[in-house]
Amino acid sequence: MIPGSFDYVVASSISDAVSLLQQHGDEAKILAGGQSLIPLLRFRLASPSVLIDINRIDGMEYIQETDNVLHIGAMTREAELDNSDLIRERYPILLDTSSLIADPVVRNWATVGGNLAHADPGNNHPATMLALGASVVAVGPDGERVIPIDEFFTDNSFETTLHPNEILTEIRVPAPTDRSGGAYIQLERKVGDYAIAGVAAYVRLNDAGQVTYAGIGLTNVGPTPIKARNAEQFLLGKALDDASIHQVADMAAAASQPTSDTRGPAEYKRAMVRTLAVRALQKALGRATGGE
Amino acid sequence: MELELRINGIIKSLDVAPNESLLKVLRQEGYFSVKHGCETGECGACTVLIDGVPRPSCVTLAAQAGGCTLTTVESLGTMRKLHPLQEAFISTGAIQCGFCTPGMVLSAYELLKRNPDPSEDEVRDALSGNLCRCTGYVKPVQAIMRAAAMQRGETVPPISSPGSSENFKPWDPGRSPLEHAEYGASTPDDPTVGAASNAQIIAPNTPESTDDSSSQGGTATLVGTRTSTDLSIVGKPERKVDAVKLVTGKPAFVDDIELRGMLHARLLTSPHAHAIIRDIDASEARALSGVHAVLTYKDVPRIPYTTAGQSWPEPGPHDQYCLDNRVRFVGDRVAAVAAETPEIAEQALSLIRVDYEVLPALLDPRYAMDPNAPRIHPEPESYRIHDASRNIAAHLHAEVGDVERGFAESDLVVEGEYIVPQVQQTPIENHIVITYWDEDDRLVVRTSTQVPYHVRRIIAPIIGLSPRRIRVVKPRIGGGFGVKQEVLLEDICALLTIATDRPVKLEFSRAEEFRSSRSRHPQILRMKTGVKRDGTIVANQMTLLANTGAYGTHSLTVQSNTGSKTLPLYPCAHIRFVADIVYTNLPPAGAFRGYGVPQGFFALESHIDEIAKQLGMDALALRRQNWLKEGDENPLAKALGEGKEGYTQIIESCGLPQCLQIVEEKLNWQEKRGKGGSGRFRRGVGIALAMHGTAIPGLDMGGASIKLNDDGSFNVLVGATDIGTGSDTVIAQIAAEVLGVRMEDIIIHSSDTDFTPFDTGAYASSTTYISGGATKKAAEQVRMQILDVAGRVLKVNPESLTLSNRIITAHNGQTMTVSQVALHSLHIENQQQIMSTASWMSYNSPPPFAAQGAEVEVDTETGVVRVLKAISAVDAGRVVNPLMAEGQIEGGATQALGYGICEEMVYDQQGALLTTNLSDYRIYSAVDMPQMESYLVETHDPFGPFGVKAIAEIPIDGMAPAVANAVADAIGVRVYQIPLTPERVMLAIHTQSQNAKR
Ligand SMILES: Cc1cc2nc3c(=O)[nH]c(=O)nc-3n(C[C@H](O)[C@H](O)[C@H](O)COP(=O)(O)OP(=O)(O)OC[C@H]3O[C@@H](n4cnc5c(N)ncnc54)[C@H](O)[C@@H]3O)c2cc1C
Ligand code: FES
Ligand code: FES
Repeated sequence: MIPGSFDYVVASSISDAVSLLQQHGDEAKILAGGQSLIPLLRFRLASPSVLIDINRIDGMEYIQETDNVLHIGAMTREAELDNSDLIRERYPILLDTSSLIADPVVRNWATVGGNLAHADPGNNHPATMLALGASVVAVGPDGERVIPIDEFFTDNSFETTLHPNEILTEIRVPAPTDRSGGAYIQLERKVGDYAIAGVAAYVRLNDAGQVTYAGIGLTNVGPTPIKARNAEQFLLGKALDDASIHQVADMAAAASQPTSDTRGPAEYKRAMVRTLAVRALQKALGRATGGE
Repeated sequence: MELELRINGIIKSLDVAPNESLLKVLRQEGYFSVKHGCETGECGACTVLIDGVPRPSCVTLAAQAGGCTLTTVESLGTMRKLHPLQEAFISTGAIQCGFCTPGMVLSAYELLKRNPDPSEDEVRDALSGNLCRCTGYVKPVQAIMRAAAMQRGETVPPISSPGSSENFKPWDPGRSPLEHAEYGASTPDDPTVGAASNAQIIAPNTPESTDDSSSQGGTATLVGTRTSTDLSIVGKPERKVDAVKLVTGKPAFVDDIELRGMLHARLLTSPHAHAIIRDIDASEARALSGVHAVLTYKDVPRIPYTTAGQSWPEPGPHDQYCLDNRVRFVGDRVAAVAAETPEIAEQALSLIRVDYEVLPALLDPRYAMDPNAPRIHPEPESYRIHDASRNIAAHLHAEVGDVERGFAESDLVVEGEYIVPQVQQTPIENHIVITYWDEDDRLVVRTSTQVPYHVRRIIAPIIGLSPRRIRVVKPRIGGGFGVKQEVLLEDICALLTIATDRPVKLEFSRAEEFRSSRSRHPQILRMKTGVKRDGTIVANQMTLLANTGAYGTHSLTVQSNTGSKTLPLYPCAHIRFVADIVYTNLPPAGAFRGYGVPQGFFALESHIDEIAKQLGMDALALRRQNWLKEGDENPLAKALGEGKEGYTQIIESCGLPQCLQIVEEKLNWQEKRGKGGSGRFRRGVGIALAMHGTAIPGLDMGGASIKLNDDGSFNVLVGATDIGTGSDTVIAQIAAEVLGVRMEDIIIHSSDTDFTPFDTGAYASSTTYISGGATKKAAEQVRMQILDVAGRVLKVNPESLTLSNRIITAHNGQTMTVSQVALHSLHIENQQQIMSTASWMSYNSPPPFAAQGAEVEVDTETGVVRVLKAISAVDAGRVVNPLMAEGQIEGGATQALGYGICEEMVYDQQGALLTTNLSDYRIYSAVDMPQMESYLVETHDPFGPFGVKAIAEIPIDGMAPAVANAVADAIGVRVYQIPLTPERVMLAIHTQSQNAKR
């Protein structure tokens, strides 16, 4: 199909984008990498009357760590995460996440901000950011606000708590501590496909090896990105051993709400959440304790 | 809005609409190298470089590219000066249909800019966004590695001889013989001789011209008895004759023309699986400004026909109507619109009011014959349906001996049920057709088809024109694999041109290609085999239920092949084959490379492994004990012909023993079989055998016309339909071989019903054998005419002359060039055009054979199967072009991997297809590929030209069962249904461990 007609405007700055959003209200859509939005337009699943292109805004593509926080500009492309030394050395979970997205051509353009703002339960970053306890920065007419990631997604598919006149500008991730580590693992029908199921796990340990923070996010096993809260709670204060990992994996599986589709039957997906959770936690533990 | 684009170094100011994609704008501006196969960012055919970075132009708005620098393949190299990447794509044989090639070349170009010395994995990663359905990525990867080496200044081993035609000096006829009476010996620097030998290589670092064969650099090895040494062109890895235009992105495909006033057509299709159209009101759509025609069932004649592009009379059910008042699947055609723009056409579709009476739908083939099942073809006009009252489109029963007695006499009877999925051909170029009236008021149909002649004959009655007023033109085709052996769009598009007197274009979108075109028949197959303790097969029975969907197109013949091409592999006294092919309210199945045979071999070759297991025998020993041998008679050939009784077939050549030996060794069978172990990751190996046919005996026919030109070149006109397989090249090789000239002396043109002779078309693996046979025959006649003229001029007996390398030589040392003969014959004396037309058919269909093997690794915690190695050894008779034969093996085996591992059409409860894009329907990408090895085992078959047999389909036959056998070897339990999705494998593992506990 051919997209319906719309106007196309280029925002020159973040504030320009915000005033354009204000001007056009609900009718407008931000255009980032376009890799999700343009197919939607083509299938007429979205029909905004104005597209606000934010690709020309300077200074929205960056990856930097300051004051114990990793700042990722919303327009940072997946390919930049793939190629960043900082990410490879200190945030391997993010490299796990970006490198599994589609193919290099798509990753050249798809943005981290778009991946979150699109709130597709099949997208990879939401689960990882939920596990990491990240937050996102939104800029609107009233200035800037910081939204913890677990308040960013709603109970509806493809919906966030961004206001229609807000733009997502940055993602903030707490820097790793001495004994912390995370991993993102997903199962695919073939390389580059959306996940059958994906699990992101992130843990911080104290010197005694007990879990002081646990984050577990799930991809493509429910209507929204899922945070396995019970599982996270359960781990606090415990040592990560075989028994606790398997127990928590069961809880993560219980938190999933998969449906049967072209990526497999629901029961299979639930079982795979368990398997992937074990693997993600083992890998996270390995990374936290100085292994790979 | 105004937009400035820098395209290939040229600044263009354009006025574009904000919703226009960059793809559309680039093609509008004439950059036809930018192809499209999905328009959702999944296939990569539309890749361009934006500021140097590859991007799918279909999901990029033109507006976004404002001020950017754009690069398309048109700017990389020209026909005369190729870029090293383009050169390498040609010389390695990386181009088949060439539809994906421009995108791949650009992705590779960017990779090499960034990384001049990439690893093979990095190359695969860079290509992973560019889907190719033809090559299996083996040769494209090789091409890029080679180009990288060339660009680094390294010397690369030669593969194929660079074409030298562009380097030809302009032709000079020489002095007139009238003033220069002697026909002397031509010197080596005669302009018409030997130009290739001093060819200067244009592209940097291109290999020197060489006659070396394929083994270097390629993955395939030629083994067996090479009888080809006496030949100079047949058997050589010649470059594909159309490769240069494809790699430079020349406008060669259906869509790559512009016609003034062309209208855009769209189809309205059914949202219901089964319904009667009570009424349809198109008045509002017709009234929309810019709409030129709307067609519904009320506007077209009701003539039963079949879309199966087969010889007349097509043996299958004639159960389709151009447009009908009953719809039989979600996606069935309801109406068609032609309008000024695609947007208007789409809007018009939404204005057509259809009053449907929704009927109960039949979605499960197992209930099709039930007396209470909905009847799908109650209409009285349809014919050749086996039993419409029970939804049986076709039925087959063939029997030799007495199977029941055979089972009774057996020591062991093994039964098994196997299930194979509905899968789609998925050429990267969707179906597309353009129709227009020419200046003589004849209708031109420019279409992406495998069967131009059948198209002309089949649409003629529907559109109300006699064939003489229809000209079907086949340009380059972006892959077919059988789906373009169906006449799906040509009728409607032609009717729209007739209704509007305007050129009209109609194409499927990717979703329509999935929903409304054709697919491989899904089947449930039951095997029952009786064996003696020592492994001798006594009786073999295959019964199957196939689902043809809403229409019967190829149902009879596809399923006939399921039995006739598989069961004879193990001849025994008692064989029975029974097939019921039933209708359902699902998208129709049709022709797909392999044509029923992959289904049969999945069952048969899985089953043979199961029998071996029950007998406690080595699976290969069991095969060797029972297989078909040279001199044997094909036990089913007579009983199961192409929709009728067949012809007796004796096996004159069979390379199966060598094929199996190669695969057994390369797979390390002895060491690896049965070593699955009990860890999380388990490995296994599996092998399957296959045989196929070469053309349909007593039915397929091809014609060729050859004429000699002044300069010693030949026009070769063939009806054979090159759809990317390289048949033009193979036919040119055959012509050049017989005529004693070089490849560049052959100007081949394929398929235009106005001036190429009849050919049944590109199917049944027939082209090299049938059309090659016709070409050989015509060339032999032309050769005789040439020698006759030379004999007259040289005053010697023509039979004493030899002709090779463009020179005719007499015993006494006198010579004449072919060009001199042409000039003499055309201008000097007893003037005649040296030319001939011949056609060829055969009552023999010598089977090619293959052994295919796979090594897999199964993750027993997830059920994920990874194929590590895929090996094929194929006996295709004499190989005309090893490079292209390898390409056929690699591409076919890759499609078979998809069949075995991940491809499947899936529906919802209402019968609507869920897998309508290339992310839900998964074909292999470059990063999914295992290590792939191909071996050609040469035999010499007496029937075809130069001893050829077929190559195109056999590689798709055995790989899926090889993989299934390998998985069974790894995990110790068989999965009876493909694709081997993780959940199916997991379920098998789970059930096995439950059973073990019990
Ligand atoms: C073939 C293919 C395969 C893919 N496979 C995967 C996969 O396996 N895993 C995966 O995670 N993703 C996958 N994707 C999706 C890809 O990552 C998308 O690009 C991503 O979901 C959206 O990013 P974008 O920059 O393209 O956003 P766009 O498509 O431009 O925008 C998406 C949505 O987010 C909004 N938006 C974007 N940026 C902002 C912002 N800064 N502020 C406010 N709103 C904003 C837009 O208005 C729009 O509604 C795939 C995409 C393709 C084409
Ligand atoms: S990716 Fe653009 S047409 Fe397929
Ligand atoms: S050559 Fe790649 S799709 Fe045909």
